[in-house]
Amino acid sequence: MLNIRRNAENGKALFALEGRLDTVTAPDLEQALKETLEGVTELTLDMEKLEYISSAGLRVLLAAQKKMNKQGKMKLIRVGETILEIFEVTGFNEILTVE
Amino acid sequence: MGTRQIIVPLSGRIDSGNAAATERQILEQLGPGEAVSPVLDAEKLEYISSAGLRVILHLKKRNPGLRITNVSSQVYEILEMTGFTEMMPVEKAWKVVSVEGCEVIGEGFKGRVYRIDRDTVVKTYKNADALEEIRHEREVARLALILGVPTAISYDVVRVGDSYGSVFELLNARSFAKILAEEPERMDWCVKEYVDLLKKVHSIVVPRGKLPSGKEQALIFVRRVKECLPEGYGDKLERMVQEIPESDHMIHGDYHTKNIVLSGDEVLLIDMDTLAVGDPIFELEQMYNSYLGFSAYNPQIVKDFQGFDRETAEAFWKKSLRAYLNTADEGKAEAAEERIRCISYADLIDWKRRYSDLADEEDRETLALWTRELIRLLDKVDSLDLRPFMEERAGGDELEVEASGGNLARVQAFVEECLKTAGCSLKTQMHIGVAVEEIFMNIAEYAYAPGKGSAIVRVEVSGSPAAAVITFIDRGTPYDPLARTDPDVSLPAEEREIGGLGVFMTKKLMDDVAYEYRDGQNILTLKKQL
Repeated sequence: MLNIRRNAENGKALFALEGRLDTVTAPDLEQALKETLEGVTELTLDMEKLEYISSAGLRVLLAAQKKMNKQGKMKLIRVGETILEIFEVTGFNEILTVE
Repeated sequence: MGTRQIIVPLSGRIDSGNAAATERQILEQLGPGEAVSPVLDAEKLEYISSAGLRVILHLKKRNPGLRITNVSSQVYEILEMTGFTEMMPVEKAWKVVSVEGCEVIGEGFKGRVYRIDRDTVVKTYKNADALEEIRHEREVARLALILGVPTAISYDVVRVGDSYGSVFELLNARSFAKILAEEPERMDWCVKEYVDLLKKVHSIVVPRGKLPSGKEQALIFVRRVKECLPEGYGDKLERMVQEIPESDHMIHGDYHTKNIVLSGDEVLLIDMDTLAVGDPIFELEQMYNSYLGFSAYNPQIVKDFQGFDRETAEAFWKKSLRAYLNTADEGKAEAAEERIRCISYADLIDWKRRYSDLADEEDRETLALWTRELIRLLDKVDSLDLRPFMEERAGGDELEVEASGGNLARVQAFVEECLKTAGCSLKTQMHIGVAVEEIFMNIAEYAYAPGKGSAIVRVEVSGSPAAAVITFIDRGTPYDPLARTDPDVSLPAEEREIGGLGVFMTKKLMDDVAYEYRDGQNILTLKKQL
């Protein structure tokens, strides 16, 4: 179960994620990003309500980061402690901008 | 204390037209000074506007002990909507119910249960001031339901004669006591359902401060009982109770076969007023008493109370205890029972001394018997820790499913359920979740490709502090996922590879990960301290 709320205007996009980002739900986020990122220069992911992330979720974040590196910036806000720890273990805190 | 209670009747409508005058009248009736607890009797109050509510606010500011009683449902709705019911005690006007001539369908220590119409029952209380008790029971029953205990909740409180009652929907239900009395051949089924529900209740972690502590309650009666024991015995018992660790896990507090009912195919737990938190021993001691302790001197007591004889009670208790401890080892079960009975007898002795004047020969003999037994046990027992006698289920819990991505949620739910009793943190739960996902998805995607096959997931929790061992077994292509080189996690995004990350995370998040290929099976084992 992953709930994605998205809001995009004037080249800025905000995605608020709620629930689990795993093998089952990662394709949903991938699809949502694909539909939205065209022309976006600033992508913000609000992680406050994200409870769980597995490598499948990290892969989608990595792909998004790579894409945004080409067309603008991406940042993650309100990242919870448990999720942050996963980023640290995998070195993702070095490649993602976590605020 | 020291405040005077003054009852002020309110009537008709209070709105902007008469609010100021009403306030003056009320203040006159209250007189000067703050040492007054006003009770606004709203029996005849039909309507109150915001101007009227402000009058109440002023009064509340002047006399913080303000209460409102006898509030009709229309006015209650206004008070509830505006938050007044949170700010001050507001008591609804109770519907009056007569139970005269109604069928009595149950009788307990505290009161009777009457059937007032086809689908409604009222549980009445003997004591005139039962309101607090009813409120408490409603509140804890609601809490239990929210936390996942299948139970019945009363939906209204009514006035019955001089006391109060709570209204329940009539469940088309049979108690386990009745089932055991009428269909003794269902004993083993009853034991299983009874113990499954008990374990479920005990697995629930209750937020701090919501329920009383079973240990505190036991310490109270243990201290009172000290004076009937020889020098040193009481201190030893108190010390052993003191040493039982505090626990946030729920206990029911009166878990016997009349409080477990079968409604359709659902097993429900009722009578929630004794709900507490604590070590399972505080539940088991009362269970022992329900079946054997109370009737130790006079076997007829259990027959009168439960409806089945003492032999049945003993068999049911013994089977249930063994099922609860997960042990078939008689020595262990008996040793656990001795520890449990130390608290059981103290509880019984205290209860008898408080509720009986001991004028009766039988009461005196019973008390003497319990005291002798307690002293004998205290000579033998040195700890009340039950953990040494509880065994994990042989081989742990196991699930076999088709190895496919569609089954991931099922596997995750299964593992979570197994870990629930161990009470592990959300963080550890997530770490285990990540590892389980990676390993199971690996099997699902590669082990049998392009064909299909099954995977076994086994969870064992053991030790203290508890550790989980999760084993994945498949009969697919031999493959050691751990042999893969770890990805370089220091590379920038552009150079990062997507593969290998899952296994790497698993290694990092678990305390130990091991692989072996044996008898045609890939066996991957995860270990994690909980």
